[in-house]
Amino acid sequence: MWRRLLKDIHWPFIFSILGLAFVGTIFIHSAAYHDGGTYETKQWFWFFMGIGAMFLVSMVGYRTFLSLAYVLYAVAMVSLIWVHIAGQTRLGAQRWLSLGPIAFQPSEFAKMATILALANFLGSHYRWEKENRIILAAVVLCVLPFLLIVKQPDLGSALLYVPMLVGMFFIWGIRYRYFIGACLAGLLGAPFFWGFLKGYQKERILVFLDPSRDPLGAGYTAIQSQIAVGSGGLFGKGYLAGTQSQLQFVPEHHTDFIFCVIGEEWGFLGAIVILVLYGLLFKTAFAILDHTTDMKAQLLITGVIAVIFTQVFVNLGMTVGLMPITGITLPLVSYGGTSFIMTCVSLGLISSIYQTRSIF
Amino acid sequence: MLRIHTSSDLFSKKLITRFSIFRISVYAGLICLGLGLFRAQLLMGAYFRNLSEQNRIRLVPSEAPRGRVFDSKGNLLATNRPSYDVVAIPEDITPAVISRLGRLLGLKDFEVRKRLTAPREYPFAPAVIKEDISRTLAFQIEERRPELPGVSIRVSFLRSYPYKETASHLIGYIGKISPEEYQWLDHKRYGLNSLIGRMGIERIFDEKLRGMRGGRQMEVNARGELIKVISERMPEPGEDIILTLDLEFQSRIMDLIRIRHASVAVLDLASDSVLVLASSPAFDPNVFVAPGNDQIRLGLIQSEEAPLLDRGVGSAYPPGSVFKLVTALTALETGKITPETRFYCKGLLRLRPGGRPYRCWRQQGHGSLNLYEAIERSCNVYFYNVAKRVSPDDIAHYARQLGLGERMRLEVLNIAPGLVPDSIWKKERFHDKWYQGETLSYAIGQSYLLVSPIQMLRLVAIIAKNGIYAEPHLVMEDTSRSRSPQRVAIREENLKAIKRGMIQVVESDYGTGQLARVDFNKMAGKTGTAQSPPKEPHSWMTGFFPATDPQIAFVVFVEHGGSGGITSAKIVKEMLHIWKELYVAKAA
Repeated sequence: MWRRLLKDIHWPFIFSILGLAFVGTIFIHSAAYHDGGTYETKQWFWFFMGIGAMFLVSMVGYRTFLSLAYVLYAVAMVSLIWVHIAGQTRLGAQRWLSLGPIAFQPSEFAKMATILALANFLGSHYRWEKENRIILAAVVLCVLPFLLIVKQPDLGSALLYVPMLVGMFFIWGIRYRYFIGACLAGLLGAPFFWGFLKGYQKERILVFLDPSRDPLGAGYTAIQSQIAVGSGGLFGKGYLAGTQSQLQFVPEHHTDFIFCVIGEEWGFLGAIVILVLYGLLFKTAFAILDHTTDMKAQLLITGVIAVIFTQVFVNLGMTVGLMPITGITLPLVSYGGTSFIMTCVSLGLISSIYQTRSIF
Repeated sequence: MLRIHTSSDLFSKKLITRFSIFRISVYAGLICLGLGLFRAQLLMGAYFRNLSEQNRIRLVPSEAPRGRVFDSKGNLLATNRPSYDVVAIPEDITPAVISRLGRLLGLKDFEVRKRLTAPREYPFAPAVIKEDISRTLAFQIEERRPELPGVSIRVSFLRSYPYKETASHLIGYIGKISPEEYQWLDHKRYGLNSLIGRMGIERIFDEKLRGMRGGRQMEVNARGELIKVISERMPEPGEDIILTLDLEFQSRIMDLIRIRHASVAVLDLASDSVLVLASSPAFDPNVFVAPGNDQIRLGLIQSEEAPLLDRGVGSAYPPGSVFKLVTALTALETGKITPETRFYCKGLLRLRPGGRPYRCWRQQGHGSLNLYEAIERSCNVYFYNVAKRVSPDDIAHYARQLGLGERMRLEVLNIAPGLVPDSIWKKERFHDKWYQGETLSYAIGQSYLLVSPIQMLRLVAIIAKNGIYAEPHLVMEDTSRSRSPQRVAIREENLKAIKRGMIQVVESDYGTGQLARVDFNKMAGKTGTAQSPPKEPHSWMTGFFPATDPQIAFVVFVEHGGSGGITSAKIVKEMLHIWKELYVAKAA
């Protein structure tokens, strides 16, 4: 059984995952050893838990998860509601539920559950049967977790539902006219939606768009993270030798801003290594996408890639000044138990799609 | 067949196109990131490296001026005054500067070093070396800045309470945030060294008063001099708060009770506004905000006089005879007596022949009394007889109807809920049943019963308003927001009977409260002398004025002040003279 299991594993795919997670963990050490915290030790624990979870998921197979998709989705929604009632507030946002000694972040779980639910739903309907209704139902599936996460408030995580839904609709085969129509509607509806927001919510979005409105918070972080990455140059300052990130100019340097530490200490070459590893991850995921004929599997892969890619793009983009500052983690690299394990689980699903491709 | 075939072919072709569009967008995104990194790390690498080595980007937060607190007449109860602070950026300071600065400020070198190494919110944020220095010293330092690189003078706001202890318990004070609190607060509004309300209005309305802090992000040269401001946000000042309090009335009342451990509260019956809420001994809140003064602060906290305790609100005491009003109402409402029901007082009452004697305060007895006379003379034996007819749970029910035993909604922290005992409470607390003798003590406001002066104030306010519920408040409200008046479930005729008794307390020559009598109008009141062995009893008097169409309700409480009819009644009389001077004379 083990031999068969290992034979069917897509090794380049696994290699990119392990590579990213490994680099992430050693830089969590660099980022956090000054703080005297135990982040690194914990992250090694998550590392093994996550990799284990990934293999377990790929053994169980994605079909089991798809058949449980609505159950998982319901559990996710309940936990998102529960976090509003009993969640812990950290830094002004309610995101965590404590399960014994572990702080669990339901929004991470909800993300994966929503991808599964959407894949199962869209995959079991062809687009030529009542397209309007299907689109509406899929949008509702996304809007529910979106609103609950916006309320936490965690606008950054909530916005990940947009590329997820757009990507999955696109691959599902939504007509271009709907696609373009939806984009236009979104643009035209924005001012209308704006009127509904409260003052502080508007302010948050304005800071999101223009960090210089908030020189004490996001604006400061934006420039300091650019300085950190930029000052790394070609070769970097050397592992553990970064000055910006170590001196705590950049906040959250073991979670959202882990890439600052990598960029500063390993320079452009190290940053390119990370980019190449992500490139390899996407390339192999696309290869698996090409080889499966199961519509649900295609949608599942699309959803996972769309979310991971957006996270990478936003997270790296904000450190080089292409994107505004948001609280989005770098998948597989940033510190964080729930996020790491959930990413591993979703990649395990892709791996299992590769393994079951021979069914046809 | 053919048609289906072509359409599925088309579909799969289309799918391939969609796959490649998806794939190409992802790769394009990665290439964008690569180019961004190329620009940041290689093209601009030298520039950023220079910035990072010199630490050229500085962030200076600026606190918003805190909102002020006014009394109802526009007197400033809490305001801000400018303070000159010496600040220094520790990273820019050389040892020579430390000793030079120390000499100027009269500080030892190690003290300056200690200030420099205190935790800060951002690297290169200025550390405060000395707060609130004199203007001349500030100018001196400003002139000598070339020899003091890294040092500067910052003008900040220092909280100031011009009327010192006059309303100290209500206004409260502010203090520096603790590191633990900082962890849990919104960092947009609270910095590492921000001030936060610690007590009273300052604490309850902290969010409103504090405003939004601002700051500027700037690029400096190697000597720490400003090159350009990168971005800036102006602080938004906090909102002002207007209280219903009347400062002049309050301060003259404070003068009356300064030497005692006492509390006085006056309520405007038309609007439920608290005009006076005085508690003595008080403290000067300025010592909590001005730098230094650690010894005085510690003294205040540890003092046995408990000056930080608001005796009107934060502490509950046995009410003594004032509570007879509740007992009387209970018996009237449950139909156990009428106002004309007579009992004979021979100075004491025994539940059983040869049993323990329950005594009246007047040893020789009051003779035969009806309810009005019993309230007027505060006869214990009359109410012992009433207590024999009612249950403790009935008394508790009406006490709660009148707002005792519950936390009030007043805008004050640490409100004492008091205690209204009943048989269930006794069972839970002592695992014992309620004895009839305890009902006798209950009826005259002793036993386990505890009330705060402000609760008694609300109680008489409800009686004064013929049963319309009173909810005292301290912060000026929108007059537009009118609440529908709620009634307590007590019949008006019974309240009228109680009122008649209360008028006799002051106006009759047998009344226990006659020392409070004033010559310009009639008053209704009730005195109380609550036993508190081994010390002197607590002295109470509460009531409303004028007796018909009342405008104010009041309560006077003197901790271990002796007889209510003497100590408190005298204060009531003086209080009413002040009120007349401030409100009646001015209006006329």
